[in-house]
Amino acid sequence: MASAHSRMRCGEFRTTYQEDMTIFPTPLARRVAVVSVLLLLLAPLCLNAYYLNLLIQIGYYGIAALGLNIVVGFTGQISLGHAAFFGLGAFASAWISNNSGIPVFFSIPLAGLLTLAVGLLVGIPAGRIKGLYLAIATLASQYILEDFFARAEWFTGGSAGAMASPFSVFGHIMNSDQSYFYVVLFYVVIMFMAGANLMRTRDGRAFVAVRDHYLSAEIMGINLNKYRILSFGISSFYAGIGGALFGHYLGFVSAEGFTLLLSIQFLGMVIIGGLGSVMGSMLGTIFMVLLPEVMEFGVHLVGSESTTLTQALAYIKEMAIGLAIILFLIFEPDGLAHRWRMIKNYWKLYPFSY
Amino acid sequence: MRKTLLCGTALLAIFGFATMASAEETIPVGHLACYTGPTSDVGVPYGNGVADAMSYINAHGGINGKKLAYETVDYSYKAPQAIATYKNWLSSIKPVAIQGWGTADTEALVQFVAKDEIPYFSASYSGHLTDPTGKSPKTKAPAPYNFFYGPSYSDTCRGLVQWAADDWKAKGGKGKPKFIHMGANHPYPNAPKEACAAYATELGFEVLNPIVYDLKPGDAKAQCLTLKDSGANYAYMGNTAGSNISLLNSCETVGAKPQFMANVWGWDENSIKAAQASGDGVAVPLGAPSWKDDAPGMATVRAISKMSDSSGETYRNLHYMRGVCAVYFMKDAMEAADKAGGVTGPNIKKAMEQMKDHVPAGLEGVCKPSTWTGEDHRGTTEISVYTTTYNGGDFTFNKQATVVVPRRDDWLGW
Repeated sequence: MASAHSRMRCGEFRTTYQEDMTIFPTPLARRVAVVSVLLLLLAPLCLNAYYLNLLIQIGYYGIAALGLNIVVGFTGQISLGHAAFFGLGAFASAWISNNSGIPVFFSIPLAGLLTLAVGLLVGIPAGRIKGLYLAIATLASQYILEDFFARAEWFTGGSAGAMASPFSVFGHIMNSDQSYFYVVLFYVVIMFMAGANLMRTRDGRAFVAVRDHYLSAEIMGINLNKYRILSFGISSFYAGIGGALFGHYLGFVSAEGFTLLLSIQFLGMVIIGGLGSVMGSMLGTIFMVLLPEVMEFGVHLVGSESTTLTQALAYIKEMAIGLAIILFLIFEPDGLAHRWRMIKNYWKLYPFSY
Repeated sequence: MRKTLLCGTALLAIFGFATMASAEETIPVGHLACYTGPTSDVGVPYGNGVADAMSYINAHGGINGKKLAYETVDYSYKAPQAIATYKNWLSSIKPVAIQGWGTADTEALVQFVAKDEIPYFSASYSGHLTDPTGKSPKTKAPAPYNFFYGPSYSDTCRGLVQWAADDWKAKGGKGKPKFIHMGANHPYPNAPKEACAAYATELGFEVLNPIVYDLKPGDAKAQCLTLKDSGANYAYMGNTAGSNISLLNSCETVGAKPQFMANVWGWDENSIKAAQASGDGVAVPLGAPSWKDDAPGMATVRAISKMSDSSGETYRNLHYMRGVCAVYFMKDAMEAADKAGGVTGPNIKKAMEQMKDHVPAGLEGVCKPSTWTGEDHRGTTEISVYTTTYNGGDFTFNKQATVVVPRRDDWLGW
């Protein structure tokens, strides 16, 4: 406990620019991150399939939510078509591994690249328009891709959907919750590290500049078109990887899973988690995945006897999500990440907060 | 802290399951129902039938004394949700059999249930589920563990087309009659599309381009105008009842009046009442007697209905009876499996495949005699064609014909 950070301090002070640019804000945060990853490595040993399934869901949705946060939270654009890219990644990975003999191990990143290419294409209008117009343009891409999924039999199996082969490494098939958890954890660590790092680069700062004031950014020499389109591309890449992980986990990909509703849920995740925060994307995803489960638990606790309550469960779950988004917009528009910072500050200054 | 909490709850859950299992020997069954979602109009009565029948079995001795421990999950007609539920079940209740629902999810689960050896009784009668070995050239994937009660969608549509051909002659129609398939772009309406069109062509119909209309009820006047322009004489409606009501109303408005023929899930008492005059004359294959029928087995069905409606006054529509039948065929197979060495998936499958013109005891006149073999999972190919007549407030089912569709080898799995 000799570290300077274990002593009582009234704030975090940095004396060099390097210190300002670390991935983790404090050494303690870094240690906590490393320890939690190590603990998660042990999770399959002590958690049953139900909890692992939740963690896996948090994993692949979290990756996609981070992607959406890059375009919405960091670059200040809006996207209502994120679910379609998520679906494109799932279909692409299934299609690549089913038709070309490329193992799933490689088809997941390849699916990410394919989604990136389509994302760059869809991002072209984003370079020109903004606000409501951009929202409608991305809505169009959502519907175009959804319709494409339902009709392109060669690619998606049409309305019947496509089977996705299980993930395997060196002939070892990893399709149980226990083993697939490691695959998802691997991707979560890589993608979140990459996301946090992206914000330390010239490109990441350009995104933030575009968000904060596009005119000033342009005067500073930032190519607006390039960065807006690039932001869509990167966000699609994240969605594609998340979708591919989802597809191979479920073993089956169907067009009806990637509707506008899922796009809105992704938006809900980043709003609840905190726009413009890498960690917030994860917090928001955890919240959105666990909320319906908590509702189900609550309903069974209160009224397992009442059939009206159990039959209304599907509605209660959806209403809870809507209610959560409204409450967050009113009471905590900066999201869970902001709330977390407030809690940290409170304890840092305890008991003499001023 | 969060981790320890999670681990603790997980351990508790594991112990909880362990103690539950040792208390009493039960037979775990999964029940995937559609109580919400686009097909809930027919999913609710069918699901109620399935749940009531299982409760009734438990209240009357179970399966040779063992109770069915069934878990009902409403998956809202979302195939991915159904698969996720299935995967959950594999590690939680570990079902030995599943009562399922829709075509999309059932077809997606075919390979899973085959691998895990879990007999799957679907409410999807897709022809793709009828070939257990995959030897038929038209089969996309063998479906060894799939069963359903009733004629397949393809055979039903073939039976309707057969009836239509006779109807055309009887009414003195001249030239080639025109047949058209209508339905959403979804596995369920699509299932019989090609098979039925091929048979219609064989029978001398001119087959027109299919028309797509949504599974969710909504305005369908654009589709009805297309239908009117096409000049179709016989139109097959592949969607469920709610969607068909809105289609028929729209078609009444624009004046498109071919002979409509519905799928087995596409027409029932509720739809006649809702569609009223615009639903007059729709041809429908009935898979069960109606609630007021006096078939001997209806006494059992009425007793089963009291499981969820103690007054016994609720009117159950046609789909309820088919839900009961699906459970009772499973029950008989489980009892046979129990005697043959244990209620396991493979034993239930074997018992199902030994049924020949089988009618579950107590349901005579309700469930059609059905036969399954190790090479053919077409339980029955008999289609009873009725038309409905609406006479201002009341309606009647009028029997037109009973068509027995031949069990052609090249139609297996198609």
